[in-house]
Amino acid sequence: MMAMLFLRRLASALPVLALVLVLVFALARIIPGDPAETTLGPGATSQQIAALRHEMKLDQPLAVQFTAYAGQVLHGDLGVSLKTHRPLREALAAKLPATIELAIAATVLALALAIPAALLAALNPGGWIDHALRVIAIAGVSLPAFLTALALQAVLGAWLDWLPVALRQSPWASMPPITGFAVVDALLRGRIDLLGDALAHLLLPALVLASFLAASFSRLLRASLIAVLQSPHVRAARARGLSRRAILLRHTLRNALVPTLPIIGIQFGDMLGGAILTETVFSWPGLGRLTVDAIHNRDYPAIQAATLVFAAIFILVSILIEMIALWLDPRLRKEGGA
Amino acid sequence: MNRRQALGCGLPLLSLSACKAGLALPRGDARTLAIAIPGEPAGIEPGTNLAEVIGSEVILNIFDTLVAWSSDEQTRMEPRLASAWQVSPDGLSWRFTLRPGIRFHDGTLLDAAAVRYALERGIAINSYFHATMTPLARIATPDAGTVEFHLSHPVPYFPALLAQPQAAIVSPSAVRARGKDFARAPIGTGPFRFLSQEPDVALTLAANPAYFRGRAWLDRLVYQVIAAPSTRRMMLEAGEIDLCHQVGQLAALSVEDVSALRRNPALRVIEAPSQILRQLEFNNRLTHGPTADLRVRQAIAHAVDADGLAQRIMGGTVDRAYGPLPTANWAFDPAQKTRAPAYDPARARNLLTQAGFAPGQLSLDLITFTGTLWTTVATFLQANLAEAGIHVAIEQMEFPALRARHTQGQFALALDGRSPWFNDPDAHMSIGYLSSLATSAMTFRMPPDAALDRLILGAQSAPSQDKRRALYADLQAELTERVPAVYLFSNKVIAFASARLRNLRVGSTPPLTEYWQVAKA
Repeated sequence: MMAMLFLRRLASALPVLALVLVLVFALARIIPGDPAETTLGPGATSQQIAALRHEMKLDQPLAVQFTAYAGQVLHGDLGVSLKTHRPLREALAAKLPATIELAIAATVLALALAIPAALLAALNPGGWIDHALRVIAIAGVSLPAFLTALALQAVLGAWLDWLPVALRQSPWASMPPITGFAVVDALLRGRIDLLGDALAHLLLPALVLASFLAASFSRLLRASLIAVLQSPHVRAARARGLSRRAILLRHTLRNALVPTLPIIGIQFGDMLGGAILTETVFSWPGLGRLTVDAIHNRDYPAIQAATLVFAAIFILVSILIEMIALWLDPRLRKEGGA
Repeated sequence: MNRRQALGCGLPLLSLSACKAGLALPRGDARTLAIAIPGEPAGIEPGTNLAEVIGSEVILNIFDTLVAWSSDEQTRMEPRLASAWQVSPDGLSWRFTLRPGIRFHDGTLLDAAAVRYALERGIAINSYFHATMTPLARIATPDAGTVEFHLSHPVPYFPALLAQPQAAIVSPSAVRARGKDFARAPIGTGPFRFLSQEPDVALTLAANPAYFRGRAWLDRLVYQVIAAPSTRRMMLEAGEIDLCHQVGQLAALSVEDVSALRRNPALRVIEAPSQILRQLEFNNRLTHGPTADLRVRQAIAHAVDADGLAQRIMGGTVDRAYGPLPTANWAFDPAQKTRAPAYDPARARNLLTQAGFAPGQLSLDLITFTGTLWTTVATFLQANLAEAGIHVAIEQMEFPALRARHTQGQFALALDGRSPWFNDPDAHMSIGYLSSLATSAMTFRMPPDAALDRLILGAQSAPSQDKRRALYADLQAELTERVPAVYLFSNKVIAFASARLRNLRVGSTPPLTEYWQVAKA
């Protein structure tokens, strides 16, 4: 039944993707300036720009351009970058693992920080631990990512010299990718030095990305935990003489997690496409930077391909989160399957 | 054990042996040069590079051109693939003698046919190169060691065109064998071979052991993509990269960063004058309005404190400009230093009154690019002009929007500039001031002026360098009189390098560096 639901959700996502295709094609062309102008720079004459525009086929009617593009996409071809002249499928395939790896690391780190924090806070709401955690959470939500990133780089990287300032791996550790995930590749190669290098590079950007999620999620989970603590089954457990700690861990956490799942899902999806600042500051070769560069260069095919892939990932993550929620809470299955 | 290793051991998944084996490895071995670049190069072979800076530098290290700018002063050409060249008395044909026995990285021999093939291919597939080579009528190869270029009109600086990275010689057999893939794994004759490229991460070149001028000292060149300027600075300070160039506006470090790096003993800041020129230009096509009045333009020129801008605001990262040619140009006339309008706010106010504008009565719009550098300069000029009683409204926009506004002539003042790739006055003059080209690009939009046009074209094609120098001196004086712009400064080409690097010479015209002789202590 879950498989059926999954397929149904997937099918209903297709019109969304088609709409995204049309929208992004139009939006890319609404931005002032075109790739020919941007490529040639301030010194170029109008004739040179016209020649390049012709070469890039931008002088054809929009309808013709769109039909050609849509046909390409239907054949699974994302096109070729106007800047690098390389197939975009290759560029995206090279960047997706970096982005996914960072997003997973950040989410794991965020959960590892937020769940204990929420439990501690819910154990004694209004206590000094709760208040201290609230202050930290507010700081975590409100500090802009670039500020945290710069501070961490300057202190831990440049000044104390404990961690690398940026990049995904040291130049000496650069090897042809197996899966493209630096951590997984290091494990597959059985090279603990590569693993250490990959993790050392992963830590700071993951921490920056995790701070917002950890902060917001810990507050949400705390509230959810306290709400569940009021419910009848918890009162029954308490009547049986279980300690508050045991009740929290065994009878509350699972239930309290369900309503917070969509937040994790949305944040995770956001990280996959939107970790632009973090990726830029840490020179992390991910999807976010590809998108920014593409927009900056007016690289239409790249803007289109990145947006499409991002939309597809976002849809997929939403479906997966729904599946996890169903698995955690069987009561939802009836409504979800209906 | 240093601090980095100590932390490595603290990471939960690492054993002690990992610290020794992994994080303790040298950051870059002594024969690898790590160069930070702000973004991926666009086009690393002559056929696909449209004058993009990073790709051009890669090309100069993988390929060779027939002739090259001398690495010392960069004011004359030196032999490279060609050992000698001469021009016919009418200036219409250039004859280049090739050095014998040079081989491409794929082992094939470089001969006249290869040179002809490579250049004709470039003209056919590279629109930028095509536009620069319009004077070329045909290429002849009388024998395997000689190439002749026949031109439609004399171009005294023709060898400079052949020194462009886009004129580098590709291996014909590799182009034929690899087809479209040639652009991704190019084959030349240069001191380094293409090794690998990981998109948006790094580009690696390896030394060519059979290089005709001798093997490079370095084994590897690694171009590492580092997008954020602050990150580049910190990585340079942490010793994670060896070299970082100040390329382009977006990539540029702020003046404060430059000063901080200058104070760091582990780093060297290498500077060279360039052909770049930045100016506050008037919309010279306007036939009415305040700036159509010469006295208003003169007033604005006297209101601008160009020395203060270069020294205090730009912190010495630029050279002051005194006219339409930067001081580093071979045709720069030293008399311009006295001819250029001096900073004199009282005189500016006086001229404005003569033109009929009381203080505070004149308002002008100033358009320019986005970015901290441009903001700094624009606000400085705004303050200068306010002192003279002129109100300036600044509008900053992204390049495509700016280009549209500029070429359509919808502005009074524009903060703009030109970054020519070779040291010849014509690179500034023809495209900048020919009234026939006024609306074809971001030019000075000169009004129709047959005498001035004749002077520009005459100076462009005069046969001897001395004759050209004299004509350009006249031209500089003529232009200074017309005040088509207030000339501000010429950015220095700046490189930030580890103090361990030896023999690093930063190229300024074009702003590209060859790493053939660079060593690491």
